[in-house]
Amino acid sequence: MTLAIDLSNISKSFPGVKANDEINLKIQEGTIHAIVGENGAGKSTLMKILYGMLKQDFGSIKIFDSEVNFSSPKDAISEGIGMVHQHFMLADNLSVLESIILGMDKASLKILNKSKYKDEINEITEKYSMPLNTQSMIDELGVGEKQRVEIIKVLFRGAKILILDEPTAVLVPQEVSELFNNLKNLKDSGVTIIFISHKLDEVLEIADEISVMRGGKHIDTVDASTVSKTDLAEMMIGQNLPTPPKREKNSKQDKSLTIKNLTAEIDKGRRAFENINFSINQGEVVGIAGVEGNGQRELAESILGVYPIESGEIILGEKTINDLSTRDRRESGLSFIPEDRQSQGLLMDVSLSENVILGKQSSNKYKSRYSNIKFNEASKNSNTVIENFDVRTPGNNTLALALSGGNQQKFVVGREIENKPSLLIASQPTRGIDIGAQSLIWNKLRDARDDGLGVLLISADLDELIGLSDRIYVIYEGSFVKELDPENATPEILGSYMTGLKT
Amino acid sequence: MINFVKKHYLIILPIVFIVLIAQMDKYDQLTTSGTFGAAIRLAIPICLAGLGGMFSERTGIVNIGLEGMMIMGTWFGAWAAWLYGPWYGILAGILGGALFGLIHAVGTVTFQVDHIVSGVAINILAAGVARFLNVVAYADQPTQSSTQSPRIDGDVGDFTLPYLSGGADTPSLFGYLQDLNYPFISDIAGLLLGATSNLSYISVFALVLIPVAAWVLWSTPFGLQMRSVGELPTGSESLGVNVYLMKYIGVMISGGFAGLAGAYLVLESSGIYREGQTAGRGFIGLASMIFGNYRPFGIFMGSGLFGYADALQLRSDDAVHGLLILISLILFIFAIKQLIEKKYINSSISIALSIGFLVWFLNSETVPSEFVYFTPHLTTLIVLSSASQKLRMPQKVGQPYRKGELN
Repeated sequence: MTLAIDLSNISKSFPGVKANDEINLKIQEGTIHAIVGENGAGKSTLMKILYGMLKQDFGSIKIFDSEVNFSSPKDAISEGIGMVHQHFMLADNLSVLESIILGMDKASLKILNKSKYKDEINEITEKYSMPLNTQSMIDELGVGEKQRVEIIKVLFRGAKILILDEPTAVLVPQEVSELFNNLKNLKDSGVTIIFISHKLDEVLEIADEISVMRGGKHIDTVDASTVSKTDLAEMMIGQNLPTPPKREKNSKQDKSLTIKNLTAEIDKGRRAFENINFSINQGEVVGIAGVEGNGQRELAESILGVYPIESGEIILGEKTINDLSTRDRRESGLSFIPEDRQSQGLLMDVSLSENVILGKQSSNKYKSRYSNIKFNEASKNSNTVIENFDVRTPGNNTLALALSGGNQQKFVVGREIENKPSLLIASQPTRGIDIGAQSLIWNKLRDARDDGLGVLLISADLDELIGLSDRIYVIYEGSFVKELDPENATPEILGSYMTGLKT
Repeated sequence: MINFVKKHYLIILPIVFIVLIAQMDKYDQLTTSGTFGAAIRLAIPICLAGLGGMFSERTGIVNIGLEGMMIMGTWFGAWAAWLYGPWYGILAGILGGALFGLIHAVGTVTFQVDHIVSGVAINILAAGVARFLNVVAYADQPTQSSTQSPRIDGDVGDFTLPYLSGGADTPSLFGYLQDLNYPFISDIAGLLLGATSNLSYISVFALVLIPVAAWVLWSTPFGLQMRSVGELPTGSESLGVNVYLMKYIGVMISGGFAGLAGAYLVLESSGIYREGQTAGRGFIGLASMIFGNYRPFGIFMGSGLFGYADALQLRSDDAVHGLLILISLILFIFAIKQLIEKKYINSSISIALSIGFLVWFLNSETVPSEFVYFTPHLTTLIVLSSASQKLRMPQKVGQPYRKGELN
């Protein structure tokens, strides 16, 4: 067998960080090679170098035994390397056809031969059995379809080496297995696949070989058929695994939140959710499972008072809060961890000590008699959050954007919990962060629950839902279709309800 | 047919109303070929500026420097036309605008300056540079002045469509129909006659650029790359599109269009460069771009509307009075539409305004002259605000982009 990729001594430094430190990596042609590691381990940097988006400081790259020197992705593409990014590189306002053929021709004023391209695309979609309608606009597609567009985009350019960056992060289990089938087809027809992930189960299922990265270094490359999950995880984090959260019910009788017949207003001809009924006791975590876009985000926002409702009742503790503004709701003890920490949770250009005020800016905690901001108080409280939630930062004057994703998230979660709420809505509390930060946030949520906090947990990470929740509701097309006990729930069972296979 | 009407009722309804109102003698100026001819001439600079804005914004760069680039077009256009003749004036106007487009591109693309800041700087800079150049270039002329150029001689010639509009001594079908004075037919004939007779070749050139712009953006690989850059630069970069180059080209084309608009103003209307000649047309061009939803033909409709209102106020105070009932009618239709959509508050505001305009119309013979000058802006404003269409701007317009940056 020939080597598809041979990296030797690749190093890359950014100011203050050594992102890649003398990486040596050999990948056989026609295999699926997984690269695992925590966030910040240097996987993405390495792949960007391989794809010509970044230039290595030292080291050499050989593709199919010939040395290459990439200065842009274009060079990498012409050598047969294609990359599917974690965040899809698709413009909503272009059609599928346009998205795929973009950049194929030189930027000339010749007429685009759309019908020729269409035939070529259909040939590929049939060959690998990945159906696509080339006329649709990108914003009409679902997540799985968008990923398919991305893969075909790369194949269409004659890629023989496919880099997939966290491809399963956005998919539900059924879509994952479909993707894996496609990948196996590709492998059988000779395509080399690099699969970047931190989900070890998936890696073990799909990969032939697994390389582990940690702190910018290549730790080891192992055979997927002989290694165990525990070994991989320990190589990945360099210490013993965090213990999985234990499950002891601790709920009290008093209600923290009661939702009665909640129905959303009609928006663009449909209701985001309809007739939702549930309650959360104090000291209880209620999870909501659902494929993105089935109404869970709107439901959370309506409880917060952001999304308009048509009918129904929201009762916080004993008090109906339907008519309260969002500010009043927050002051009555509602707290919210938004799904997107960078756009909804933090002001990126502002220091942590000021960020801690967000959400409580109108309360007397941070407001003096003359409506000045109490900066001393803010500084003190931000230090409490930083300390209690192990936020790694030089100090509370640091700007939020200087923190890594995991630390930003710890800060947001810390701020919301330290506000001593009576109900916490946690939307994707650990999305896209490393194992260390994840287990800390899990423990803190669990502690807060044990202290009597009611938590509404919305998450796409099904293991997290099962591990943390005391009860799980599955939302599908705006309605609760199933209530499950996490004791007997598995990701597969949840997935089949989430996609409407079972009802 | 019904579908066509449904889809384009925003354009068709006002035309139908105008034709109906024009049946009254007092308001017959509403649909004469003279009015439409003037409307086209007044619309073209705005349309060109709007097309310029489109090229820039489609590549993700906000261009409020259009006005400044247009000023450059007026100055360079006048200077070169004075030296060598009108066609050189056109060329120089385009180049002058493109030069300032280049400055805007260097600022926003290479140095990541905020687009609005850079655009404002361009506008201020252009006004100063034009005055400076004017003093330097005409220093030894008898008419030397810091704010005006000497008069420009020569013109580019006119074009009239043969047979239909009477070009080259052929019969004029539209003219004949207009003179018959049949309701509706004569009005439409007037529209077509105005649009196809005595057009200067510069106007023809400008009008041809509209479909050309559409073709470039939607039918060529170059256009696809340009559009993708405004939608998702990181994605385009990863497919080997030269994002910076596309943005540079987009902004420079934008400047070129604005410069052409400026040169058009000089050569078509005044025959002289005068300070302040652009009079905010660059900004109105931007408005027409938004009204036109970043599409060439939409921009043409938007600028046509403004040009029409402008032509009316120039030609006849009486006709402007007729616009009052038109505005009242449009608002009324709009109110009904909102009522159907159950937007009661908006609907009642529209109704109230509609009645207000109706009362004004019935209780007056003419519109006060102070208002007449304001008509084009007011009409545009009202139509813009009632045209509650779904605007779709390029996804990443106005956002800085650095090469090699992901997410």
